[in-house]
Parts: sequence; structure tokens; C-alpha cells
Amino acid sequence: MLRNTAIIGCGQTKHTSKRRDVSVAELVAEATYAALEDAGITMKDVGCVVSGNMQGFGGVAQPDLWIGDWMGCPGKPAIRIATGGTTGGSVAHGALYAVASGMFDLAIGVAWEKHSDSKEAGATTGLMHVGMANLFHALPYGLSLKNLIATTAVGAAAGVAVYQARFYMHRSGATIEHLDMVAAKDRRNAAKNIYAHLQWPNCQPEDIAKTEMIAYPFRYGHVCPASDGASCIVVASEKLAKKLCKQPAWLLGLASYSDEENQLQSENYGGVGVLDPCEQMGARISAKKAYSMAGITDPQKEIDLAEIYQPFPSQEMFFAERLGLFDDGTAWRYLEKGETDINGSLPTDLSGGVNATNAIGSSALQRVLECALQIQGKAGEHQASRKVRKAIAHGWGGVTNYITVTVLGDTPR
Amino acid sequence: MGYLKDERPQTMMVEGDWQVGAYRYKAPRLLEEYTQALKRKKIIGSLCLGCGKVIVPPRNICGRCHQRMTGRQEVSPIGTITSFVISPPVVKGKYKLFGLDPVDTGALKEGEVMVPVFVRLDGSDSNIACLLFNADPQKVFIGMRVKAVWASELKGAMSDLDGVEPLENR
Amino acid sequence: MTKKVAIIGYAQSNHQAEVQKTREDLVFDVAREALKNAGILREDLGTVITSSTDFLDGRTISNVFLSMAVGAYLKDESKVEEDGTNALYYAMMKLMAGAYEIALVEAHTIGWTFNPHQVWLYTLDPLVDRQIGVLDDIAAAALQARAYMDKYGVSEKDLAQVAVKSLSDAAKNPCAHRKMPKVNVGQVLSSRKYYDPLTELMISPVSDGCAIVILASEEKAKQVCEQPVWIEGIGTCQDDYLRDRNLLSLNSLKKAAKAAYRMAKVKNPLKEINVAEVSARFAHEELMIYEALGLCRDGEGKDLLAKGVTKKSGKLPVNPSGGALAADPICATGLIRVIEAAKQIRGEANGYQVPKVKRALAHGQFGICAQKNTVIILGGGK
Repeated sequence: MLRNTAIIGCGQTKHTSKRRDVSVAELVAEATYAALEDAGITMKDVGCVVSGNMQGFGGVAQPDLWIGDWMGCPGKPAIRIATGGTTGGSVAHGALYAVASGMFDLAIGVAWEKHSDSKEAGATTGLMHVGMANLFHALPYGLSLKNLIATTAVGAAAGVAVYQARFYMHRSGATIEHLDMVAAKDRRNAAKNIYAHLQWPNCQPEDIAKTEMIAYPFRYGHVCPASDGASCIVVASEKLAKKLCKQPAWLLGLASYSDEENQLQSENYGGVGVLDPCEQMGARISAKKAYSMAGITDPQKEIDLAEIYQPFPSQEMFFAERLGLFDDGTAWRYLEKGETDINGSLPTDLSGGVNATNAIGSSALQRVLECALQIQGKAGEHQASRKVRKAIAHGWGGVTNYITVTVLGDTPR
Repeated sequence: MGYLKDERPQTMMVEGDWQVGAYRYKAPRLLEEYTQALKRKKIIGSLCLGCGKVIVPPRNICGRCHQRMTGRQEVSPIGTITSFVISPPVVKGKYKLFGLDPVDTGALKEGEVMVPVFVRLDGSDSNIACLLFNADPQKVFIGMRVKAVWASELKGAMSDLDGVEPLENR
Repeated sequence: MTKKVAIIGYAQSNHQAEVQKTREDLVFDVAREALKNAGILREDLGTVITSSTDFLDGRTISNVFLSMAVGAYLKDESKVEEDGTNALYYAMMKLMAGAYEIALVEAHTIGWTFNPHQVWLYTLDPLVDRQIGVLDDIAAAALQARAYMDKYGVSEKDLAQVAVKSLSDAAKNPCAHRKMPKVNVGQVLSSRKYYDPLTELMISPVSDGCAIVILASEEKAKQVCEQPVWIEGIGTCQDDYLRDRNLLSLNSLKKAAKAAYRMAKVKNPLKEINVAEVSARFAHEELMIYEALGLCRDGEGKDLLAKGVTKKSGKLPVNPSGGALAADPICATGLIRVIEAAKQIRGEANGYQVPKVKRALAHGQFGICAQKNTVIILGGGK
């Protein structure tokens, strides 16, 4: 099937709430050149540039036309991929397919977001915009202002995720304490990641439990930040990877299936949630396809590390289940036993994940990037205790209907 | 890379904006059918003649069968809560929507606790998002049976279906 | 080593100024037609790539509710922004990698929703150009046209001739938006002037439209399709940003064309290509495109046109469908060119068919003054 492809270099910027010292173009250049340096190549060697971000936040349409000069686009094939929250994952897939198809031997995937460029809170209000555009349809039909405010403002800080968390807690028996545990773990892990945003060394669930409640069961301490940051990966063909890199992170499988029936917003105000929103058929099917490409038959045994896209802690639990890493409804038990910690049997989001760092365009790419770092052994202080042979990177986006899944390994297929 | 890593506390700031309000769209006729039925206290959903799914409020296209949902099916005004959120008490000045404070505009009362819920009406395969009235927020649970609350004056608008309230008074 | 990919089906909407449908309806109708044209079921699809942009659609994650309409429910899907030809490129890469066998590529824009010319404004550098506020896409194109005309002695009449050719040819194309069978040079020159030398009829109209192309890998195409149209070559390239470019020639198009020709083993395009469908948003762009595609030397585009080489009955007809000057639903424009080129190969271009087409060229562009370009070489035919 796919010809062998690997990630040979990774670059990211420090993520903070306001990178006032650079313009967005310089931010992107930082990550891009850091990745090239890491891979040991120059921009001249790159065959194709795949880029993406969620452009609404930056207020620039098709920013690659302008920022292209900073990413090395001029004179090269340049493709822009943007799919909301999964943008980074889709960009990673774009770069991986560019090489796996045989069209190019070296490609880079660049994704970024500079939330501070917009006057909005950013990451968490993205879904509110989608909802708004939709609800505007309903206003001429007499949707009451109270209903409009209630269903958007209250959910706005967390969007549809708060309902989704409620569904999951009801099905699995997870409690708000588990959400506290996940958030604390993520911020603790982020403290060991020099590029992460919300770094809270030794954060404990009690610290999270003290923060104010937004709307049960989400507290302020659970919600992801809106960060400024960019990340970039360098993808190479088998021959180049073996030449340039000591331990490439090999592509084993990838997929991005979507499931519209589990979303909680719909076109033209239509009915929603035909399927339980934490059911995530898209994630189940994407994982199945990626595993079959990778030749993985028992993910619970064969996957050593996971980077789940979790702006909200409930998602770290149920997505892990949907990806086949735990049986349905049991993720919180493993969390309690510490299996998802840095020295556990399935270390999850050792980088802090999206919960600690969320530059929307780049977040899903960072999941792939972090898996690559772990396989390469380059994750520094947040390197997993166990040897990472196979890792899975996940992203969700849209109104919880888009998914990207990437499986990487330390040996080619 | 040197010049990019220069010590510079802050770069220049320039302003710009994106006129989101200037966009215009075509809406489908579906919502008109739906609201006209609400005027008669009937809740109509779209029915897919391929897979039998009923979607309320009506939706245009069935993704799985890849055809238009041309059937119409009335659903019951009684349903079940499938998910809910309890807002903290409304505080004036905390949230602004389109630059307006909900308390100032009279849409919400200070100290009010709102419970937006997703309700699956009997006969429907989808959920409606609306508000739950006349219930103790602490006693709401998934699986609670509720019934539709109609506006006092039915105008053929979305607001005719004001929300839901518990089926039995607890 | 690289697998071959073919087009097995396609469909496009009737492009118009204000389509009386919702976005989902528009895409759904075209999707159903495309699946029928290809003779496959939605279940046979492996992956779906859509193309639209947030700023044109007025919604962040512009394709978020489009998936069901386009047939992507529980399918692998993604969205490539900008021109539809880039989406086709990505879909092709997925098929070549062997991950899927059938891909559906969709592109649409409803120009009525928000004036695309306004959106081009937003693609400008926010730090300098938007602050100064003098440039917009038509002004930039006008500057380019004037510089080009000055250097090579091209007149406004030459530009008008391009418009006349496109708009009168479009009269035979049932899907075109702007059809003017009896238009003449004088009418084009006296139409409303935007920025000298560009007048209204020299600029593409703001259209609403959707185009869908279905691709299949080699084995699958031979299995399900009687007359597959093979993608023999493809190339894409991006130029520097507007201020840093040499606007006198379309360099990225030259590079993209070179890459496509190399892949398709085309040495002399003027001889080996039988028909070309190019995306020229402004009349002068078509002349510059002739040159960048290697059909003539720099500055000789007007001669090619004057000699009748590129008219419908000429040696290498360019835009027998009317091109972008007749219909420009921004993201779909390039994909429509692919469809028109494929129609010519299959002999389905009723009313404007070019005889004996074995090889066709399709071109899509995006960005002010055609900053990004994609060239596709198609082959097949009896």
C-alpha cells in the first residue's frame, strides 16, 4: 500500500497567550526553520509545503498567500488545508500523503494560530461562531432571544463539549473528580514541556477543584487556553529518512473519517445528536482503518503512547476508548490507577495535550509532532518511561464531527 | 535564524477588522413548515424514506442514504432529556453577546439559573436544544421525562415552543 | 512507481448570479449528478475532498455542515482550501498512495453570499497593504495589465478580443453564467470601467456554482468506467507575495506547467495539446497564460490570439467553454476547467466540441494576480 514515509524533524514555538514579540509571519517562520534545523535540511530541499490554520481568528483570508514567503512556499507546490480543529492533523496528513504518494521525497507541514491577533477569547469560541452562523438562520423564524443566549452564551465557553461530557459521565460512571484528575495531570505534564502554555508544576486535582464552575461539570481549570504558537514537521521518503535521521518516526497508518450524526449543531438549525456525541463513530472507524494499515490487531497491547486531542478533559477519556485503547466506559479506571501517567502502561498526553496548549490551527499537528518526538526519544523531560514503539495521534474538529488519526512507529512497515 | 530571535519585547500593533455581519444566505423552506406547524401545537420532523430516520427540527438531507428527507412525521410533545447543562446564576456584566448584556436587555434575570437541555421527543431520532422550566436544577437527570411548554401566544415562530418542563411535578 | 489516476465522472451546476438554493442543496444536487455520471454509489466512495474557503462562505470551518450533502458521511474526508484543482491534487495523492480507490472532489463558491472581491482584500498583507488601503484585486490586476501592455505593445483592443472570444463562445455552453453571443470589441471597451484598462466585461463575473469530479485509481477506473479520462500530468506552484513578485510574467504558472509537462512527457505543448481550458480572471491574464504555458514567447500572446490559433476553430482552442470570464465561482473555477477539458476528451461538449481531442490541458489559479497555479494534463479519447 503506502510507500514508506517518516517524520524526520519537528519544530515548534513557545506557546503563550500573547506572543507580542512577533508578527504571525515571524511566528510561523520560527517553527518552520526550527523543524528544518532539526531535520538537518535546508528550505531548498523541500519539495512541497502543506500549511493550515483556522483563518477566521487571524482575520486574514488565505494567509498562506502572504505568509508563504516565510514558510518557503515561493517557487514550490503549496497546498493549504484547513478543517477547523483538526487543521493540524489534516496538514500532517497532507504532508504525509505528499510523500507517501510518491509525488515528493521531502515535504513539510506547517500549522499555526495567533489567537492574540483577534479580540476574541479564541479557541473556545470557535464553535460558538459556527453555532452563531447557524442560529442567525433561525432568528427570522422567531427564535427567542432568551433561547439564543441560553444555548450559546452558557455553552459558549465550552461549546458542545459540556453536553458531550454529560453524555459520557452518564454512560460510563466517570465523575467530575476524574475531570479534575485529567486536567491536573495535563498541567503537571505541561510543566515538563518547554513549549507548552499552561505550565503548573505539581498540579493536583484539588487545585483544579478550587477553580470556579463555568457550567457543571466544567470548571475554569478544565478548559484549554487560547495560545499563540506554530508547529512544523518535516516528512521524508524512506531513502532520505534512513540517510538523514537516526531514528525516524515512521508512518504506519492514517485516516480521517467524519460522523455527522453525533454532532450537537446542525445545518439550518436541524435536529442534532442522532447518535450520542461521545459515541464518535468517526474516531472508531478512523482508528480501525489506521490500525489495519499499520498491521495492528490489538491496540490495547501494541500502542505504547497516545496523544489525544483534548481541549476538555472528558475527551481524553472517551476518545481513548473509541480509539480502541481501553474498553468502552473504562478509561477512568485506568486514570485512577495512574496508567496514563508518564510511567504508566499507556502514557497519554505527556506534552500536556490541547488542555494545556491550544493554538487551534496547530494543536492537532502538535499531537503528531509529540508522538514523533516520543518515538525519536527527543521529548526531553516529558519523555515516557517506557520505550515508545508505536504511538497514536488523534485530533477532532468541526462540531465534533471531524477526526484525524495518525499511527506512527519506530520501524517502517 | 538570528534576526528572528532578536530580543524585542513587543512588535508594532496595527488594527484591522472582518465584517462578518455583511454576509447573506439563502435559508431552506423547512423552518417555515416547522414553525407553521408549531402554531397549531404540532411538532413536525423530516422523515427519510430510505432509512426511516425522523429528525426534529426538520433537516434537509440524510447523509447515509444521500437523499432528501422528503417525508414528514409528527412527533410527540413528550420526550426524554438526554443531556443538560446547569448554568451558574446569571451575573450582570459577566457575559456580553454582540456587545449587549443579557440582563440589561431584559432577556435574562440576575441570579437566574438556566438549564439548557437536549430533549429527544418520542418518535424523533434527534434532539432539540431548548430550555427546561419549572424544575429544580439539582433534581434534573438524564432520562427525565418532560413535555413541551407552549408560548402563551402562538405566532408561527420558533419561540412558540418555549421549552420543556417536567412531565410530573416532583 | 506512481499509480495512474483517472477521472471517471463529473458534474457541475448551472452557474449563475444568485442561485436560489442553500449551499447544501446546491452541492447535494451536483453530488447526486456526479455519482450518476460516474455510475457508482455513494457507498463506493473511499475519500471525499472538498474545497471552499471560510472567508467566502462566511463561516469558520466552512465545510462543517456540508459533509452529508457531498456524500462524506462516515467517509474519510478533508478540505483543501483555495482552488478546486488543489483539492484534486490532494485527492490524487491519496489515491496514488494506495490508501483509497475512489475519491470525490468538490469545489463551490456562492459569490452572492459575500462579494469575493472583498475577500481578495482580506488576503492582502494586513500589516502594510491593508493599512495603506489602496490595492484590491482589480487594482492589482489593472497595474499588471498596464505594465504588461506597456512592455509588449499590447493594446486594450487585444484585451477586448479575449473577452469577445470567451463571452461569445460561452453562449454555446449551457452551464456558463455570462453568455453574450453577439458581443463586440466596442461593447467590451465601453462597458463600465473599474480600473484602467480593465472594464466590466474584461473581468470575470461573480458567480454561484459548484463542480464535482470523481477520481479512481487505475484498476478501479478500468473496472467501473467505460471511458476514463487519465490524468497524465499535474503540477502546482506558488509565487511570492504580491509586492515581491515580478508581475510581468506568471512565474509560478511556468513552473507548474513545466512540472505537469514533464510528468506527462509533453515536449511541444502547441503541437501535442488539442484543447486548453485555462482560468483567466481578467482578460489580460489569458494572454500571459499562453506565454507561461509555453505556447509562445513572452509578449507574443496577442499574436497567438490575432492569428486565430486559440479560437474555437484554431490549432489550439483555448476556453471553448467560455472560461472564467463567463463563469467564476471562485473555488470551483479551476475544477470546472478540468470538467470542461474532460468533456472535450470524452466528446461530450455538445455545441462547442473541438474535434479529435486526445490530450487536454486544464488550469486553475488562486490569489491576486494568479499567485498560485495548478496545471493538469488529461489524456484519453478515441
